[in-house]
Amino acid sequence: MSLLQSPHWPVLIDVYFFLGGLAGGAFVIATIAHLLDARRFRDVSRVGYYLALLALIPCPIILIVDLGVPLRFMNMVRAFNPLSPMSMGAWALLGFSVCAFLAALMTLLEDAGRARNLGGAKIVVGVVGGFFAFFLAAYPGVLLSATARPLWAGGHALGALFLAVGASTGAAAVALVLMLIGRTAAGLAPLRTMLVLALLIQLLAVVVFVMSAQSSGSLASTRALATLTSGSHSLTFWLGAIVVGSVLPLVIGLVNVKRRSPGLTALASILVLIGGFLVKFVIVAAGQM
Amino acid sequence: MARTLAMFTDTSLCIGCRACQVACKQWNELDMEVPDWTGTYQNHTHFTDKTFRLVRFIEEPGGKPNGDLAWLLMSDVCKHCADAGCLNACPTGAIYRTEYGTVNINQDLCNGCRYCVPACPFGVVSFNEQTGTAKKCTFCNDRIHNGLGPACAKACPTESIQFGFRDELVGKAQKRVEHLKAMGFKEAQLYGADARGFLSGLNAFFLLLGKPSTYGLPESPSLPQKRVLAESLLSIGSALLVGVGALVAFRQRNGGKEE
Repeated sequence: MSLLQSPHWPVLIDVYFFLGGLAGGAFVIATIAHLLDARRFRDVSRVGYYLALLALIPCPIILIVDLGVPLRFMNMVRAFNPLSPMSMGAWALLGFSVCAFLAALMTLLEDAGRARNLGGAKIVVGVVGGFFAFFLAAYPGVLLSATARPLWAGGHALGALFLAVGASTGAAAVALVLMLIGRTAAGLAPLRTMLVLALLIQLLAVVVFVMSAQSSGSLASTRALATLTSGSHSLTFWLGAIVVGSVLPLVIGLVNVKRRSPGLTALASILVLIGGFLVKFVIVAAGQM
Repeated sequence: MARTLAMFTDTSLCIGCRACQVACKQWNELDMEVPDWTGTYQNHTHFTDKTFRLVRFIEEPGGKPNGDLAWLLMSDVCKHCADAGCLNACPTGAIYRTEYGTVNINQDLCNGCRYCVPACPFGVVSFNEQTGTAKKCTFCNDRIHNGLGPACAKACPTESIQFGFRDELVGKAQKRVEHLKAMGFKEAQLYGADARGFLSGLNAFFLLLGKPSTYGLPESPSLPQKRVLAESLLSIGSALLVGVGALVAFRQRNGGKEE
Protein backbone atom coordinates (compact mmCIF):
# COMPACT_ATOMS: atom_id res chain seq x y z
CA MET A 1 0.00 0.00 0.00
CA SER A 2 1.29 3.40 -0.90
CA LEU A 3 1.88 5.84 1.93
CA LEU A 4 1.77 8.84 -0.39
CA GLN A 5 -0.82 11.55 0.02
CA SER A 6 -2.81 13.44 -2.58
CA PRO A 7 -3.26 17.22 -2.61
CA HIS A 8 -6.96 16.73 -3.49
CA TRP A 9 -6.99 19.64 -5.90
CA PRO A 10 -10.56 20.21 -7.12
CA VAL A 11 -11.67 20.36 -10.77
CA LEU A 12 -11.45 24.16 -10.56
CA ILE A 13 -7.68 23.78 -10.67
CA ASP A 14 -8.02 21.92 -13.99
CA VAL A 15 -10.16 24.81 -15.22
CA TYR A 16 -7.31 27.14 -14.24
CA PHE A 17 -4.74 24.97 -16.03
CA PHE A 18 -6.99 25.05 -19.10
CA LEU A 19 -7.68 28.80 -19.05
CA GLY A 20 -4.06 29.71 -18.28
CA GLY A 21 -2.83 27.63 -21.20
CA LEU A 22 -5.49 29.02 -23.52
CA ALA A 23 -4.66 32.60 -22.49
CA GLY A 24 -0.95 31.96 -23.06
CA GLY A 25 -1.58 30.36 -26.46
CA ALA A 26 -3.87 33.16 -27.62
CA PHE A 27 -1.34 35.78 -26.49
CA VAL A 28 1.59 34.17 -28.34
CA ILE A 29 -0.51 33.82 -31.50
CA ALA A 30 -1.52 37.48 -31.26
CA THR A 31 2.10 38.54 -30.86
CA ILE A 32 3.36 36.44 -33.77
CA ALA A 33 0.53 37.68 -35.99
CA HIS A 34 1.32 41.26 -34.98
CA LEU A 35 5.06 40.83 -35.59
CA LEU A 36 4.76 39.18 -38.99
CA ASP A 37 2.12 41.36 -40.62
CA ALA A 38 0.39 43.75 -38.24
CA ARG A 39 -1.95 45.02 -40.92
CA ARG A 40 -3.01 41.81 -42.61
CA PHE A 41 -3.40 39.87 -39.33
CA ARG A 42 -4.86 42.79 -37.40
CA ASP A 43 -7.98 40.84 -36.46
CA VAL A 44 -5.96 37.86 -35.25
CA SER A 45 -3.85 39.98 -32.91
CA ARG A 46 -6.85 41.97 -31.69
CA VAL A 47 -8.88 38.87 -30.91
CA GLY A 48 -5.83 37.12 -29.47
CA TYR A 49 -5.01 39.91 -27.02
CA TYR A 50 -8.61 40.42 -25.92
CA LEU A 51 -9.13 36.70 -25.51
CA ALA A 52 -5.90 36.31 -23.53
CA LEU A 53 -7.10 38.88 -20.99
CA LEU A 54 -10.62 37.45 -20.82
CA ALA A 55 -9.37 33.90 -20.26
CA LEU A 56 -6.88 35.18 -17.70
CA ILE A 57 -9.32 37.10 -15.49
CA PRO A 58 -10.83 34.02 -13.75
CA CYS A 59 -7.37 32.50 -13.15
CA PRO A 60 -6.19 34.41 -10.07
CA ILE A 61 -9.71 34.25 -8.64
CA ILE A 62 -9.77 30.45 -8.94
CA LEU A 63 -6.33 30.13 -7.38
CA ILE A 64 -7.10 32.47 -4.48
CA VAL A 65 -10.43 30.81 -3.69
CA ASP A 66 -8.71 27.41 -3.69
CA LEU A 67 -6.14 28.44 -1.06
CA GLY A 68 -6.60 27.22 2.49
CA VAL A 69 -6.17 30.80 3.67
CA PRO A 70 -7.23 32.94 0.69
CA LEU A 71 -6.30 36.24 2.33
CA ARG A 72 -2.68 35.13 2.40
CA PHE A 73 -2.44 34.90 -1.41
CA MET A 74 0.16 37.65 -1.46
CA ASN A 75 2.52 35.30 0.40
CA MET A 76 3.04 33.67 -3.01
CA VAL A 77 5.28 36.60 -3.94
CA ARG A 78 7.13 36.95 -0.66
CA ALA A 79 9.54 34.25 -1.83
CA PHE A 80 11.28 33.54 -5.14
CA ASN A 81 12.09 29.87 -5.36
CA PRO A 82 13.36 28.72 -8.79
CA LEU A 83 13.18 25.05 -7.72
CA SER A 84 9.44 25.32 -7.02
CA PRO A 85 7.22 25.49 -10.11
CA MET A 86 4.43 26.69 -7.79
CA SER A 87 6.52 29.71 -6.85
CA MET A 88 7.70 30.42 -10.39
CA GLY A 89 4.16 29.94 -11.69
CA ALA A 90 2.86 32.57 -9.29
CA TRP A 91 5.46 35.01 -10.55
CA ALA A 92 4.74 34.13 -14.18
CA LEU A 93 1.02 34.66 -13.58
CA LEU A 94 1.78 38.09 -12.16
CA GLY A 95 4.09 39.02 -15.06
CA PHE A 96 1.66 37.71 -17.65
CA SER A 97 -1.26 39.55 -16.03
CA VAL A 98 0.57 42.87 -16.41
CA CYS A 99 1.46 42.17 -20.06
CA ALA A 100 -1.97 40.80 -20.99
CA PHE A 101 -3.63 43.86 -19.43
CA LEU A 102 -1.30 46.29 -21.23
CA ALA A 103 -1.65 44.50 -24.58
CA ALA A 104 -5.45 44.46 -24.35
CA LEU A 105 -5.49 48.09 -23.23
CA MET A 106 -3.33 49.19 -26.18
CA THR A 107 -5.51 47.23 -28.56
CA LEU A 108 -8.57 48.88 -27.07
CA LEU A 109 -7.01 52.34 -27.46
CA GLU A 110 -6.25 51.58 -31.10
CA ASP A 111 -9.74 50.23 -31.69
CA ALA A 112 -11.29 53.30 -30.11
CA GLY A 113 -9.14 55.53 -32.29
CA ARG A 114 -7.49 57.10 -29.24
CA ALA A 115 -4.02 55.97 -30.22
CA ARG A 116 -2.39 55.36 -33.54
CA ASN A 117 1.24 54.54 -33.32
CA LEU A 118 1.66 52.05 -30.50
CA GLY A 119 3.72 49.70 -32.69
CA GLY A 120 6.98 49.74 -30.70
CA ALA A 121 5.45 49.58 -27.23
CA LYS A 122 3.09 46.86 -28.35
CA ILE A 123 5.94 44.78 -29.70
CA VAL A 124 7.84 45.07 -26.40
CA VAL A 125 4.75 44.06 -24.38
CA GLY A 126 4.01 41.29 -26.88
CA VAL A 127 7.50 39.77 -26.72
CA VAL A 128 7.93 40.06 -22.93
CA GLY A 129 4.38 38.83 -22.43
CA GLY A 130 5.02 36.02 -24.91
CA PHE A 131 7.78 34.72 -22.67
CA PHE A 132 5.45 34.76 -19.65
CA ALA A 133 2.69 33.23 -21.78
CA PHE A 134 4.82 30.21 -22.68
CA PHE A 135 5.78 29.88 -19.02
CA LEU A 136 2.17 30.07 -17.86
CA ALA A 137 1.08 27.39 -20.32
CA ALA A 138 3.91 24.97 -19.49
CA TYR A 139 4.59 25.34 -15.77
CA PRO A 140 1.58 23.33 -14.49
CA GLY A 141 3.01 20.28 -16.24
CA VAL A 142 6.44 20.80 -14.69
CA LEU A 143 4.70 21.42 -11.35
CA LEU A 144 3.03 18.01 -11.54
CA SER A 145 6.33 16.34 -12.53
CA ALA A 146 8.13 17.80 -9.50
CA THR A 147 6.09 15.80 -6.99
CA ALA A 148 6.30 12.32 -5.54
CA ARG A 149 3.02 11.20 -7.16
CA PRO A 150 3.95 8.09 -9.18
CA LEU A 151 2.03 9.02 -12.36
CA TRP A 152 3.22 12.61 -12.63
CA ALA A 153 6.79 11.84 -11.57
CA GLY A 154 7.01 8.67 -13.66
CA GLY A 155 6.61 10.11 -17.13
CA HIS A 156 8.44 12.85 -18.98
CA ALA A 157 7.18 15.80 -21.02
CA LEU A 158 4.12 16.88 -18.99
CA GLY A 159 5.28 20.51 -19.27
CA ALA A 160 5.81 20.09 -23.01
CA LEU A 161 2.34 18.55 -23.30
CA PHE A 162 0.65 21.33 -21.34
CA LEU A 163 2.41 23.94 -23.49
CA ALA A 164 1.27 22.30 -26.73
CA VAL A 165 -2.29 22.08 -25.36
CA GLY A 166 -2.10 25.80 -24.57
CA ALA A 167 -1.09 26.49 -28.16
CA SER A 168 -3.78 24.29 -29.70
CA THR A 169 -6.58 25.54 -27.46
CA GLY A 170 -5.42 29.14 -27.92
CA ALA A 171 -5.46 28.76 -31.71
CA ALA A 172 -8.86 27.06 -31.58
CA ALA A 173 -10.38 29.78 -29.41
CA VAL A 174 -9.02 32.60 -31.61
CA ALA A 175 -10.32 30.83 -34.74
CA LEU A 176 -13.78 30.38 -33.22
CA VAL A 177 -14.04 34.03 -32.18
CA LEU A 178 -12.87 35.18 -35.63
CA MET A 179 -15.63 33.08 -37.18
CA LEU A 180 -18.21 34.37 -34.70
CA ILE A 181 -17.45 37.99 -35.53
CA GLY A 182 -17.12 37.21 -39.23
CA ARG A 183 -13.52 38.44 -39.66
CA THR A 184 -12.07 35.38 -41.33
CA ALA A 185 -10.46 37.05 -44.36
CA ALA A 186 -6.77 36.61 -43.57
CA GLY A 187 -6.35 34.93 -40.22
CA LEU A 188 -8.14 31.63 -40.49
CA ALA A 189 -5.79 29.84 -42.88
CA PRO A 190 -2.68 30.26 -40.67
CA LEU A 191 -4.70 29.32 -37.58
CA ARG A 192 -5.80 26.10 -39.28
CA THR A 193 -2.17 25.22 -40.00
CA MET A 194 -1.21 26.21 -36.48
CA LEU A 195 -3.91 23.96 -35.05
CA VAL A 196 -2.61 20.96 -36.99
CA LEU A 197 1.01 21.58 -35.94
CA ALA A 198 0.09 22.12 -32.27
CA LEU A 199 -1.99 18.91 -32.26
CA LEU A 200 0.97 16.98 -33.69
CA ILE A 201 3.25 18.28 -30.90
CA GLN A 202 0.51 17.55 -28.36
CA LEU A 203 0.16 13.94 -29.49
CA LEU A 204 3.94 13.50 -29.61
CA ALA A 205 4.16 14.73 -26.01
CA VAL A 206 1.41 12.29 -24.93
CA VAL A 207 3.32 9.42 -26.55
CA VAL A 208 6.57 10.46 -24.82
CA PHE A 209 4.74 10.75 -21.48
CA VAL A 210 3.01 7.38 -21.65
CA MET A 211 6.06 5.51 -22.97
CA SER A 212 8.49 7.02 -20.46
CA ALA A 213 6.10 6.31 -17.57
CA GLN A 214 5.74 2.74 -18.85
CA SER A 215 9.50 2.22 -19.01
CA SER A 216 10.39 4.17 -15.85
CA GLY A 217 11.20 0.95 -14.03
CA SER A 218 9.09 2.05 -11.07
CA LEU A 219 6.31 -0.34 -10.17
CA ALA A 220 4.30 2.46 -8.59
CA SER A 221 4.53 4.51 -11.80
CA THR A 222 3.46 1.71 -14.12
CA ARG A 223 0.58 0.94 -11.76
CA ALA A 224 -0.46 4.59 -11.70
CA LEU A 225 -0.20 4.74 -15.49
CA ALA A 226 -2.60 1.80 -15.68
CA THR A 227 -5.36 3.88 -14.05
CA LEU A 228 -4.96 6.22 -17.02
CA THR A 229 -4.54 3.72 -19.84
CA SER A 230 -6.67 0.76 -18.72
CA GLY A 231 -8.27 1.67 -15.40
CA SER A 232 -11.05 3.94 -14.22
CA HIS A 233 -9.85 6.96 -16.23
CA SER A 234 -9.08 5.10 -19.44
CA LEU A 235 -12.34 6.00 -21.21
CA THR A 236 -11.87 9.72 -20.59
CA PHE A 237 -8.24 9.44 -21.62
CA TRP A 238 -8.48 7.34 -24.78
CA LEU A 239 -11.91 8.30 -26.08
CA GLY A 240 -12.17 11.86 -24.75
CA ALA A 241 -8.67 13.28 -24.70
CA ILE A 242 -6.99 11.27 -27.46
CA VAL A 243 -9.54 10.15 -30.05
CA VAL A 244 -12.20 12.87 -29.93
CA GLY A 245 -10.01 15.64 -28.54
CA SER A 246 -6.79 15.21 -30.52
CA VAL A 247 -6.81 12.64 -33.35
CA LEU A 248 -10.21 13.52 -34.77
CA PRO A 249 -9.52 17.29 -34.98
CA LEU A 250 -6.10 16.48 -36.41
CA VAL A 251 -7.67 14.40 -39.21
CA ILE A 252 -10.29 17.09 -39.79
CA GLY A 253 -7.56 19.72 -39.81
CA LEU A 254 -5.46 17.81 -42.34
CA VAL A 255 -8.45 17.28 -44.65
CA ASN A 256 -9.43 20.89 -44.19
CA VAL A 257 -6.06 22.39 -45.22
CA LYS A 258 -7.20 21.91 -48.82
CA ARG A 259 -10.98 22.08 -48.40
CA ARG A 260 -11.12 25.24 -46.26
CA SER A 261 -14.59 24.52 -44.98
CA PRO A 262 -15.61 26.92 -42.21
CA GLY A 263 -17.89 24.29 -40.68
CA LEU A 264 -15.05 21.81 -40.37
CA THR A 265 -12.74 24.48 -38.91
CA ALA A 266 -15.36 25.28 -36.27
CA LEU A 267 -15.89 21.59 -35.50
CA ALA A 268 -12.15 20.94 -35.17
CA SER A 269 -11.75 23.98 -32.92
CA ILE A 270 -14.55 22.90 -30.60
CA LEU A 271 -13.12 19.37 -30.39
CA VAL A 272 -9.67 20.78 -29.60
CA LEU A 273 -11.09 22.87 -26.74
CA ILE A 274 -12.87 19.82 -25.28
CA GLY A 275 -9.83 17.59 -25.76
CA GLY A 276 -7.46 20.19 -24.31
CA PHE A 277 -9.49 20.38 -21.12
CA LEU A 278 -9.93 16.62 -20.88
CA VAL A 279 -6.24 15.76 -21.31
CA LYS A 280 -5.29 18.10 -18.45
CA PHE A 281 -8.25 16.99 -16.33
CA VAL A 282 -7.59 13.29 -16.74
CA ILE A 283 -3.87 13.53 -15.98
CA VAL A 284 -4.52 15.58 -12.83
CA ALA A 285 -7.34 13.25 -11.74
CA ALA A 286 -5.50 9.98 -12.43
CA GLY A 287 -2.36 11.30 -10.74
CA GLN A 288 -4.27 12.06 -7.55
CA MET A 289 -5.75 8.58 -7.24
CA MET B 1 24.12 26.34 12.47
CA ALA B 2 23.91 24.37 15.63
CA ARG B 3 24.82 20.71 15.69
CA THR B 4 22.22 18.69 13.79
CA LEU B 5 19.69 16.96 15.99
CA ALA B 6 18.09 13.68 15.04
CA MET B 7 15.64 11.02 16.07
CA PHE B 8 16.63 7.39 15.68
CA THR B 9 13.69 4.99 15.62
CA ASP B 10 14.87 1.44 16.29
CA THR B 11 11.92 -0.65 15.11
CA SER B 12 13.41 -3.82 16.65
CA LEU B 13 12.64 -2.39 20.09
CA CYS B 14 9.12 -1.17 19.37
CA ILE B 15 6.38 -2.98 21.27
CA GLY B 16 3.50 -1.14 19.60
CA CYS B 17 2.23 0.54 22.76
CA ARG B 18 1.65 3.82 20.88
CA ALA B 19 2.77 5.93 23.84
CA CYS B 20 4.64 8.04 21.27
CA GLN B 21 1.45 8.61 19.27
CA VAL B 22 -0.46 9.65 22.39
CA ALA B 23 2.35 11.84 23.74
CA CYS B 24 2.56 13.58 20.37
CA LYS B 25 -1.17 14.23 20.36
CA GLN B 26 -1.07 15.58 23.91
CA TRP B 27 1.94 17.83 23.62
CA ASN B 28 0.96 19.25 20.25
CA GLU B 29 -2.72 19.55 21.24
CA LEU B 30 -3.89 17.59 18.22
CA ASP B 31 -7.60 16.88 18.04
CA MET B 32 -8.99 13.38 18.22
CA GLU B 33 -10.07 11.66 15.02
CA VAL B 34 -12.56 8.95 14.24
CA PRO B 35 -10.55 5.70 14.17
CA ASP B 36 -10.09 3.75 10.94
CA TRP B 37 -10.71 0.01 10.84
CA THR B 38 -7.48 -1.14 9.23
CA GLY B 39 -7.68 -4.85 10.03
CA THR B 40 -4.79 -4.45 12.46
CA TYR B 41 -4.09 -2.37 15.54
CA GLN B 42 -2.84 0.41 13.28
CA ASN B 43 -4.64 3.72 13.44
CA HIS B 44 -4.75 5.58 11.13
CA THR B 45 -3.87 4.20 7.71
CA HIS B 46 -1.57 7.14 7.04
CA PHE B 47 -0.40 10.42 8.52
CA THR B 48 -3.06 13.08 8.93
CA ASP B 49 -3.11 16.72 9.92
CA LYS B 50 -3.74 15.51 13.46
CA THR B 51 -1.48 12.44 13.56
CA PHE B 52 2.22 13.25 13.34
CA ARG B 53 3.49 10.02 14.93
CA LEU B 54 2.00 6.82 13.62
CA VAL B 55 2.81 3.30 14.71
CA ARG B 56 2.58 0.97 11.75
CA PHE B 57 1.63 -2.67 12.38
CA ILE B 58 2.89 -4.93 9.60
CA GLU B 59 2.43 -8.68 9.25
CA GLU B 60 5.17 -10.26 7.15
CA PRO B 61 4.82 -14.01 6.43
CA GLY B 62 8.18 -15.78 6.79
CA GLY B 63 9.76 -12.61 8.10
CA LYS B 64 11.35 -14.13 11.21
CA PRO B 65 14.80 -15.81 11.08
CA ASN B 66 13.11 -19.20 11.73
CA GLY B 67 10.60 -18.64 8.96
CA ASP B 68 7.65 -17.73 11.18
CA LEU B 69 5.39 -14.81 10.59
CA ALA B 70 7.04 -11.58 11.66
CA TRP B 71 4.91 -8.98 13.32
CA LEU B 72 6.75 -5.80 12.47
CA LEU B 73 6.13 -2.59 14.33
CA MET B 74 7.38 0.78 13.26
CA SER B 75 6.76 4.14 14.84
CA ASP B 76 6.78 6.36 11.76
CA VAL B 77 7.29 10.11 11.71
CA CYS B 78 8.33 13.00 9.47
CA LYS B 79 11.86 12.24 8.28
CA HIS B 80 13.10 15.86 8.42
CA CYS B 81 15.04 15.15 5.20
CA ALA B 82 18.34 16.96 4.64
CA ASP B 83 17.05 17.58 1.08
CA ALA B 84 13.35 18.10 1.74
CA GLY B 85 10.81 17.93 -1.08
CA CYS B 86 8.21 19.88 0.90
CA LEU B 87 10.62 22.67 1.74
CA ASN B 88 11.75 23.04 -1.87
CA ALA B 89 8.16 22.98 -3.13
CA CYS B 90 6.86 25.69 -0.79
CA PRO B 91 6.13 28.91 -2.74
CA THR B 92 5.69 31.13 0.32
CA GLY B 93 8.78 30.25 2.30
CA ALA B 94 6.53 28.99 5.10
CA ILE B 95 8.45 25.70 5.25
CA TYR B 96 11.90 26.33 6.66
CA ARG B 97 14.88 24.57 8.18
CA THR B 98 15.69 25.28 11.79
CA GLU B 99 19.22 25.78 13.12
CA TYR B 100 19.06 22.18 14.35
CA GLY B 101 18.49 20.81 10.85
CA THR B 102 14.82 19.99 11.36
CA VAL B 103 12.09 21.03 8.90
CA ASN B 104 9.16 23.07 10.11
CA ILE B 105 6.04 24.79 8.73
CA ASN B 106 5.47 28.39 9.82
CA GLN B 107 1.71 28.35 10.40
CA ASP B 108 1.50 32.15 10.08
CA LEU B 109 2.93 32.13 6.55
CA CYS B 110 1.41 28.99 5.02
CA ASN B 111 -1.48 29.92 2.72
CA GLY B 112 -2.69 26.38 2.09
CA CYS B 113 -1.72 25.84 -1.57
CA ARG B 114 -1.13 22.13 -0.70
CA TYR B 115 1.81 21.74 -3.08
CA CYS B 116 3.96 20.34 -0.26
CA VAL B 117 1.48 17.46 0.21
CA PRO B 118 2.30 15.61 -3.05
CA ALA B 119 5.93 16.80 -2.91
CA CYS B 120 6.67 14.69 0.17
CA PRO B 121 8.14 11.30 -0.86
CA PHE B 122 6.83 9.77 2.38
CA GLY B 123 3.26 11.09 2.47
CA VAL B 124 3.90 12.99 5.69
CA VAL B 125 2.61 16.51 5.06
CA SER B 126 -1.17 16.80 5.47
CA PHE B 127 -3.69 19.56 4.94
CA ASN B 128 -5.79 20.84 7.83
CA GLU B 129 -9.24 22.01 6.77
CA GLN B 130 -9.84 24.02 9.95
CA THR B 131 -6.71 26.17 9.80
CA GLY B 132 -6.40 25.96 6.01
CA THR B 133 -2.70 25.21 6.36
CA ALA B 134 -0.32 22.29 5.95
CA LYS B 135 0.64 20.33 9.06
CA LYS B 136 3.31 17.87 9.99
CA CYS B 137 5.62 16.81 12.81
CA THR B 138 7.50 19.83 14.17
CA PHE B 139 10.20 17.73 15.85
CA CYS B 140 8.61 19.36 18.92
CA ASN B 141 10.21 22.63 17.93
CA ASP B 142 9.14 24.31 21.16
CA ARG B 143 10.63 21.52 23.27
CA ILE B 144 13.99 21.21 21.50
CA HIS B 145 14.49 24.97 21.78
CA ASN B 146 14.06 24.61 25.53
CA GLY B 147 16.43 21.73 26.08
CA LEU B 148 13.85 18.97 25.99
CA GLY B 149 13.65 16.06 23.59
CA PRO B 150 10.61 15.48 21.38
CA ALA B 151 7.54 14.26 23.29
CA CYS B 152 7.47 10.92 21.44
CA ALA B 153 11.08 10.09 22.33
CA LYS B 154 10.45 11.11 25.94
CA ALA B 155 7.39 8.86 26.19
CA CYS B 156 8.88 5.76 24.54
CA PRO B 157 9.23 3.09 27.26
CA THR B 158 11.68 0.87 25.34
CA GLU B 159 14.00 3.53 23.90
CA SER B 160 12.83 2.51 20.46
CA ILE B 161 12.76 6.26 19.76
CA GLN B 162 16.02 7.94 20.67
CA PHE B 163 16.80 11.61 20.47
CA GLY B 164 20.23 13.22 20.27
CA PHE B 165 22.96 14.63 18.06
CA ARG B 166 22.83 13.07 14.64
CA ASP B 167 26.47 11.97 14.39
CA GLU B 168 26.33 10.22 17.77
CA LEU B 169 23.04 8.51 17.01
CA VAL B 170 24.27 7.18 13.65
CA GLY B 171 27.25 5.54 15.40
CA LYS B 172 24.92 3.94 17.96
CA ALA B 173 22.59 2.76 15.22
CA GLN B 174 25.37 1.11 13.24
CA LYS B 175 26.48 -0.87 16.31
CA ARG B 176 22.89 -1.94 16.89
CA VAL B 177 22.58 -3.25 13.30
CA GLU B 178 25.73 -5.36 13.74
CA HIS B 179 24.38 -6.73 17.01
CA LEU B 180 21.05 -7.66 15.41
CA LYS B 181 22.74 -9.28 12.43
CA ALA B 182 24.80 -11.40 14.80
CA MET B 183 21.52 -12.43 16.44
CA GLY B 184 20.26 -13.69 13.10
CA PHE B 185 18.25 -10.76 11.82
CA LYS B 186 19.95 -10.88 8.43
CA GLU B 187 17.83 -8.13 6.88
CA ALA B 188 18.45 -5.61 9.69
CA GLN B 189 19.41 -2.32 8.10
CA LEU B 190 19.42 1.41 8.62
CA TYR B 191 17.10 3.61 6.60
CA GLY B 192 18.16 7.18 5.92
CA ALA B 193 21.20 7.19 8.21
CA ASP B 194 23.71 7.75 5.40
CA ALA B 195 24.20 11.47 4.76
CA ARG B 196 25.57 10.59 1.30
CA GLY B 197 22.55 8.40 0.56
CA PHE B 198 19.09 9.37 -0.70
CA LEU B 199 17.83 12.87 0.12
CA SER B 200 21.28 13.53 1.69
CA GLY B 201 20.12 11.59 4.72
CA LEU B 202 17.12 11.74 7.02
CA ASN B 203 17.26 13.55 10.35
CA ALA B 204 14.69 11.08 11.61
CA PHE B 205 16.18 7.77 10.51
CA PHE B 206 15.22 4.20 11.22
CA LEU B 207 16.47 0.73 11.90
CA LEU B 208 14.35 -1.75 9.95
CA LEU B 209 14.21 -5.53 10.27
CA GLY B 210 13.37 -6.03 6.62
CA LYS B 211 13.40 -4.33 3.27
CA PRO B 212 12.06 -0.75 3.27
CA SER B 213 9.28 -1.87 0.91
CA THR B 214 8.05 -4.28 3.61
CA TYR B 215 7.25 -1.21 5.67
CA GLY B 216 5.78 0.61 2.66
CA LEU B 217 8.79 2.91 2.47
CA PRO B 218 10.32 3.83 -0.90
CA GLU B 219 13.63 2.01 -1.45
CA SER B 220 15.49 5.03 -2.72
CA PRO B 221 13.32 8.15 -2.86
CA SER B 222 14.59 11.03 -4.95
CA LEU B 223 14.08 14.75 -4.48
CA PRO B 224 11.03 15.67 -6.62
CA GLN B 225 12.66 18.95 -7.64
CA LYS B 226 15.44 17.00 -9.39
CA ARG B 227 13.03 16.68 -12.31
CA VAL B 228 12.47 20.44 -12.72
CA LEU B 229 15.48 21.06 -14.97
CA ALA B 230 14.85 18.23 -17.46
CA GLU B 231 11.12 18.93 -17.63
CA SER B 232 11.78 22.66 -18.12
CA LEU B 233 14.15 21.88 -20.99
CA LEU B 234 11.55 19.62 -22.60
CA SER B 235 9.00 22.43 -22.21
CA ILE B 236 11.39 24.89 -23.86
CA GLY B 237 11.80 22.40 -26.70
CA SER B 238 8.05 22.22 -27.05
CA ALA B 239 7.85 26.04 -26.94
CA LEU B 240 10.41 26.28 -29.76
CA LEU B 241 8.45 23.78 -31.87
CA VAL B 242 5.20 25.68 -31.24
CA GLY B 243 6.89 29.01 -31.97
CA VAL B 244 8.42 27.77 -35.22
CA GLY B 245 5.07 26.20 -36.12
CA ALA B 246 3.29 29.50 -35.57
CA LEU B 247 5.89 31.36 -37.65
CA VAL B 248 5.51 28.83 -40.47
CA ALA B 249 1.71 29.02 -40.25
CA PHE B 250 1.58 32.81 -40.38
CA ARG B 251 4.28 33.05 -43.06
CA GLN B 252 2.67 30.75 -45.60
CA ARG B 253 1.34 32.35 -48.77
CA ASN B 254 -2.39 32.63 -48.73
CA GLY B 255 -2.97 30.50 -51.83
CA GLY B 256 -6.59 29.81 -52.65
CA LYS B 257 -9.60 31.90 -51.90
CA GLU B 258 -10.61 32.37 -48.29
CA GLU B 259 -14.00 31.27 -47.14
